[in-house]
Amino acid sequence: MRQFIGVESDILSAPEPVESGAVRRYAQAIMDEDPVFADDGKAQGQGLPGKVAPPLFPVQSFRRAFGTPDQLVERAADPDFDGSVGSSMRGLPELPTAGLVRLNGGSEIELLRYARHGERISIQARYASITERETSKGPMIIVVIETSYFTTPDDPIMRVRSTSLLREPQK
Amino acid sequence: MNRRTFESVEIGDELSLTRGPLTEPIMMRWSANMENWHRIHYDRKFALEHEKLPDLLVNGSFKQQFIMTMLRKWAGAEGWVWKVKFQFRAMNLVGETLQVWARVADKKREADYGLIELELGIKNNDGKESTPGTALVALPYKDGARVRYPFVPPKIKSDK
Repeated sequence: MRQFIGVESDILSAPEPVESGAVRRYAQAIMDEDPVFADDGKAQGQGLPGKVAPPLFPVQSFRRAFGTPDQLVERAADPDFDGSVGSSMRGLPELPTAGLVRLNGGSEIELLRYARHGERISIQARYASITERETSKGPMIIVVIETSYFTTPDDPIMRVRSTSLLREPQK
Repeated sequence: MNRRTFESVEIGDELSLTRGPLTEPIMMRWSANMENWHRIHYDRKFALEHEKLPDLLVNGSFKQQFIMTMLRKWAGAEGWVWKVKFQFRAMNLVGETLQVWARVADKKREADYGLIELELGIKNNDGKESTPGTALVALPYKDGARVRYPFVPPKIKSDK
């Protein structure tokens, strides 16, 4: 799997611009209905250019684009498919880890601004490291992905270094 | 809302946010919202029998929202949550109420704003820590302007 280290995605744009309905659903789901997420006047009153998306909204903006392969359908007959389609959403090649349990190990986030309603977010991601470690529950693969979020490369929004932990299912 | 400034913050100051109980509908709403179909968050049979987990897991992506909400509310409109770092070291299960916490660990002066270093985490009903981490929050000086937006990271090495 080491051949994936350093592999970088192409620049990938979110399937839709940031739109008010998505922001409303997101804010309600995270239980943070800050008016700056919905009201231009309230946002401007806090020094923002207009209503914005919650700070981590860009991370969840990369969904399956219309007309692209639907893994949920394609793998519906696979009882071991855990439903996760994360890496492909960031334009990275899938790692050969079918059958392993994938857990979110954590993140390092650097936030420079909020995404604004109406703008289209792009990303570029890379496999920063892939290592193996012996744990009390057996071998574990640790995958670190670095992702930059921006509208144009000179207009960064945030950078995220996220860690996934992969291990065999427990008996 | 009172303006939080670098000078108004003391090392040892604490902040907190409670989220929960995180029921199945609340967790399902988050998974559906982010179109995350990882079954360990909503398919109990798969979680228990296939993945051998004790129950449905609260998404790490969900927990990090609570950390960010707590820090943003604390920083106020004139501050900025610049960096957040955390590890998901233990599971949080459906039905738990999470206590998100942070404590001011250090303060550093920069040219245009002050940086507040915080230790943080998330504890469950039993006080078990699941998400240790740190954060850097920029706050304006008492007699200074709000932290510039978009945020401009410090360019020079900071002095306490």
